[in-house]
Amino acid sequence: MILLSLAEKPRHGYSLLKDIESLSNGRVQLSTGTLYGALRRLLEDLWIERFEQDDTSREKQAYRLTPVGRKQLHAELERMKQLTRMATARLRTKEA
Amino acid sequence: MSVVRAYRLLLRLYPADYQAFFRAEMEQAFQRAVEARRKEGRRAVLRFLVAEFTGLCIGATAEWISKLTTDCSVRGRCLPDLRMMRPTAVSREVWFAGACLEASQSSQPAEVMEAQARVSMLIERMVRAIAHHDFPGARRYSDEERQARAELRRLQEKYNIDDSGMDRCS
Repeated sequence: MILLSLAEKPRHGYSLLKDIESLSNGRVQLSTGTLYGALRRLLEDLWIERFEQDDTSREKQAYRLTPVGRKQLHAELERMKQLTRMATARLRTKEA
Repeated sequence: MSVVRAYRLLLRLYPADYQAFFRAEMEQAFQRAVEARRKEGRRAVLRFLVAEFTGLCIGATAEWISKLTTDCSVRGRCLPDLRMMRPTAVSREVWFAGACLEASQSSQPAEVMEAQARVSMLIERMVRAIAHHDFPGARRYSDEERQARAELRRLQEKYNIDDSGMDRCS
């Protein structure tokens, strides 16, 4: 979900928290500890990168997807699409 | 005790490198989240605080496990050891002064050795200040270090000491 949130535009920590909450219709409410732990792992895997924002907002540090991260997001979406297709096909077979 | 203060205290449970990198951001995000929850009422704030503080304790444990089990070269991709990094404003000569000190100081006057030790100490303090995002402090140490450096040069000239040992390291 972090990758998905960053796919749209670079975001800072609080913006990520809010966006993930709205993406999941309020079902996922990350704590800052969970969010930054995940960000640390994503930075370590080089899927995202941190940079300094030039604007005058309170938060200076923001995160954006790297090309590797974008590729991973596409791969994950493909995997989920395939899973959905398979699940739909199985349900149809059972109902028929 | 305010919730932000309690949050700050709990952040100390995290490994030092993690704190240096994320502490300021985490505090900021927490403050904004608390402000937003306050508009939703007392119960929402309470629920949020319980989730946050539990998340911090779990997160700190996970980070310590990760720190102890991950190779520093992998961890260094996101949490570089700032003590090992030369800040852009510091020349190689100054940065490696501490390392060269031992090699060059054996036959030097006490006054020069003292000045060299002061330069090294100020560099160390500046790096620590940068690691803790204390940039005004870092600038102050940088200014002091420049003065200490000038004093060291003066002493080296006074005792006619060639500082090429440091140049070799730069």
